[in-house]
Amino acid sequence: MTAQRQASSAAQTPHLSAAELSYLYTSLSLPNNPIRPDGRSPTQFRPLAAECDILPGTNGSARIGFADGTQAIVGVKAEVEKTTLTADTLDARSLSLQSDLGPSGDGREGTEGSSAATGGHGSWVQMSIEIPGFRDDDALPVFLAEMMRESLVGSVGGKDGDGIERGMAGGLKGRLVINKRWHWRLYIDVLLLSQPLSYPLPLLSLTTHLALLSTKLPKLKSQGEEDPFFDDDWAVAEYLYPRASAGLKFNPSQQVRPPVTLLVISVGENVIFDPNREEIAVADAVLAISVTRDTESQGLKLLTIRTIDPPSRLTQPGVPNSENVNMLGATAPGESVAVLNPATGEEEIPGVWRPRRGGVKRSVIAGMVKTVLKKGGVGEEVLAGLEGVQVG
Amino acid sequence: MTSPATAAPSVPPSLSLPPSQFARLQPHAYLLAHLSPPPAMNQPSVRANGRAASQFRVTSANAGSLTHTNGSAVVRIGDTAAVCGVRAELLHTEDIASWSVSQSSSATNQSNEAGGQGTDAENEVDRAQIEDLNLLVPNLSLSTGCAPGFIPSAPPSALAQSLSHQILSLLHSTRLVKADDLRVWYQPPNLEHIENEMDVDGGSENRHPREIKAFWVLYIDIMIISLAGNAFDAAWASVLAALRDTKLPKAWWDVDNETILCSEDINEAHKLSLRGMPIASSFCVFEADAAAGWRAVVIPDAEEQNAEKQKKKGPQSRWILADPDGYEEGLTMEKACVVVDKENGKTVILKMEKLGGWTIDTEDLRQLVDISAQRWDEMKQILG
Amino acid sequence: MLKLPLIKLEMNDRRRINGPPGGTRPAVFASHLESSSAADRARRERQPTELRKIFLKTGLIPSASGSSYLEFQPSASLAAARETPKSLIPPSSALKLACTVHGPKPLPRSAAFSPNLVLTTHVKYAPFAARKRKGHIRDASERDLGVHLETALRGAIIAERWPKSGIDLTITILEAEDDRWWADAPDSHDASWGMMNVLAGCITAASAAIADAHIDCLDLVAGGVAALVSDDSGDSSTTSPRLMLDTDPAEHRSIMSACVVAYMPARDEITELWLKGDSSKAALENGDARSAHEALIDGAVDAARGAYSVLGDALRESVLQTIQS
Repeated sequence: MTAQRQASSAAQTPHLSAAELSYLYTSLSLPNNPIRPDGRSPTQFRPLAAECDILPGTNGSARIGFADGTQAIVGVKAEVEKTTLTADTLDARSLSLQSDLGPSGDGREGTEGSSAATGGHGSWVQMSIEIPGFRDDDALPVFLAEMMRESLVGSVGGKDGDGIERGMAGGLKGRLVINKRWHWRLYIDVLLLSQPLSYPLPLLSLTTHLALLSTKLPKLKSQGEEDPFFDDDWAVAEYLYPRASAGLKFNPSQQVRPPVTLLVISVGENVIFDPNREEIAVADAVLAISVTRDTESQGLKLLTIRTIDPPSRLTQPGVPNSENVNMLGATAPGESVAVLNPATGEEEIPGVWRPRRGGVKRSVIAGMVKTVLKKGGVGEEVLAGLEGVQVG
Repeated sequence: MTSPATAAPSVPPSLSLPPSQFARLQPHAYLLAHLSPPPAMNQPSVRANGRAASQFRVTSANAGSLTHTNGSAVVRIGDTAAVCGVRAELLHTEDIASWSVSQSSSATNQSNEAGGQGTDAENEVDRAQIEDLNLLVPNLSLSTGCAPGFIPSAPPSALAQSLSHQILSLLHSTRLVKADDLRVWYQPPNLEHIENEMDVDGGSENRHPREIKAFWVLYIDIMIISLAGNAFDAAWASVLAALRDTKLPKAWWDVDNETILCSEDINEAHKLSLRGMPIASSFCVFEADAAAGWRAVVIPDAEEQNAEKQKKKGPQSRWILADPDGYEEGLTMEKACVVVDKENGKTVILKMEKLGGWTIDTEDLRQLVDISAQRWDEMKQILG
Repeated sequence: MLKLPLIKLEMNDRRRINGPPGGTRPAVFASHLESSSAADRARRERQPTELRKIFLKTGLIPSASGSSYLEFQPSASLAAARETPKSLIPPSSALKLACTVHGPKPLPRSAAFSPNLVLTTHVKYAPFAARKRKGHIRDASERDLGVHLETALRGAIIAERWPKSGIDLTITILEAEDDRWWADAPDSHDASWGMMNVLAGCITAASAAIADAHIDCLDLVAGGVAALVSDDSGDSSTTSPRLMLDTDPAEHRSIMSACVVAYMPARDEITELWLKGDSSKAALENGDARSAHEALIDGAVDAARGAYSVLGDALRESVLQTIQS
């Protein structure tokens, strides 16, 4: 229980010795040119294999596998549901019915049971994450689900320059509105197929992104405020995230896309993306940053930032030779002299591992966000890579 | 507070422990030393916490400070603090499975006929509605970090469950809340109005009877924020104070929307009219013989008890302590609880409970009732 | 999945006293049905950088190794409503919470070896804390708050001084903050904004309780919130959102983006950062080169500095008391 609690926000720390941790930290914090254990550049992602529409029973699905064997499958299902009218009013009956149905994956009905007919509501998107070895109410799955759901429902698409809606004016929430009395409810089920070898956030987020891109909703045949009925021809179904119609010239970067959440760590003064398990174990700071394309400025916009508890706080410290009883007398004086680590502001003896303490400087956070957001930066690279995956 | 060396002569002077250490190592001897100081010392018998045996801790109450409640109260008895919030929600009669058959007709007739006087039958309906429909829902939580040993994420502990049920049964047995305060009535409009006007002698006999459309359900949640003994008295006092503070909005059946609507106007809201003001007082029995509790497996017969009484002429061997704190609760087996109310200056016993031993006899109980009556006066001042 | 049985468990929970089996409905006020006039909505009467007063006191719960109680000053509208009660619907609410720390104590025998102090946090709303009744079992948002709080505190505690031991930190929220003004329909930017204020309060109170329990920390860590709000009514969307500190969501029409930090002033470091919402459309004052999210973080840090001074005063006071007694 305790072991799992400790691993609550960051995945289990690998059992690395203090010497290994120190080696990793030193090589990853080399100024300007970190050496990663697998030889990647700081911004390089691990190679992955992706496919879409693998589950015929869902509205949309995707699978991504990393080279290390970790795999995730995401299935998206949509259901039509009656909209409860504004703030706790009138249709209190369906309100109580809704709470009878149980707390949704996000459990938000407790606070946000009311919903708007026009704006859509965050609780219409439900997300559940299953990770082997964790109960689905453990901290890690709950935290991951909240983190990803938050950026999904938080992203609001923009209007085109000339005011033509691209179909996503209210963001994902708005897209789920059918009419004043009906809406779609989206169930996103995320399944990690293997033990989490590294912090599974990037994998799950990318897979969810692809699954949502491939999600189709049946074409609405009814009009206006009628009870909705749909075309049963799957071929004319519409994408949840609308595509360019064939005739129009459409820049793919203008298209509204689901957000992606990236995992970024800082080690020393370096910013490193998509860390593996060993790298995250020595991180000074871990941030989960969600970004999406800004349809107006063509750039990227920031949706959420969350700090994740760096597992380096839980590691065991190394013992410097000067304090080691076995080495008594064997150390040359001046061998272990504490120096100030410029990144953490703490006195450290080089080569001796000290668990991280304290927080992050604001400048470090700003630097990490900037690397994600800058033009031609990692965020764009990832989104472009995902756009390359053949969907549908 | 007395120093340990003087208070406990059994401790050799060479080994001088600070009082706090001694209290932890030898709690029983520590408390005993306070209660029966050696005669030579010429000291009065006080408890380790400095109170006299029948003295309660300083009590304070503060009502109506929580925003999202219909009524709320914070009660502190010494270091024990209870926060109670009352939330009212509506139970529509159409949601009650057995409603249409059993109750609606009888209930409405009853109250229509009975008018103002509280007949037995009406009281019975009152009781039945509150108890059978679960209109009062008290829940006490100790998972607030109020004391070590209660794991916050665990389901309610045995103590929390038992306290919740004690509060529920006391709410029921004292019939504190009147069912009529919780009913939402509806008078259907007279549709035969026009006909009636035509034939004048039609009269009001065939007018529709009033019907109950809904009940208010009171969710009474008690969070024990700090626990230092005697949780029940604090919890009950907070429930009482919160219920006295509770305002229910004016509610009516809205035909157009087919639902109950409420008025937000505070002047139209009504306070609960509670039956009396029952006050709970808890006691525990501290015995000089530390092992008495273990040995008391056989109830002594009358002769033995007489012999016991003779013995009592000697040094006092047990003390009944009012409002025990956490330290004292841990040292005693036998507990008693008396709930009293006063009607026109006369004390009424509403509940009397004693468990865990056999030393409290009828005389003692009489005394406890007197102490509880005094406590009632005190609490009346505090609750205002 | 597991979801349905869970709620069933809560509904037929034999360890608690359950209400009517058919369930109950919250009261619907007639005024909900009418479109409310903009005149009576709660308004912010503080300056954009003015913080609410915080009442913080430590050591109120003697059975715990450390404890604290925190209360936010009621907003102007709430204070007015308390002064002359007119409506049964409160205009806004003010955070009230109690925090206890138990430990450090040895880890249970079954637990794995830990070279550091193991911190367990537990955040629970009282059933009457929010506008809508909360269940007795922690929901996802409460667990999420617990994780955030844990991250915020772990960075401050010097954990290697207590190997093989643990502390349990429990927060009971007696009154939470609203996510929006009660009569507003949630707009496209709606989110659980109130939760961020609750987190900031939790961080400050927890830090006080940990200090009260004499657990070594690098510095006191304080929580602060800043948000980009747009207060104009929907039709005139010309003015851009403005940065405000310590926002009460009930006082604003629309919150675009908000940020909460846990901040240690002595080291100028952030141990926990949670920012959400689209801040891309915010325009800062001329000459401000910062991007919107940087401005938000800086704002939240400023708010945290305010909470830090309260934190320092509260602890100084409690130390003086122990010395005198």
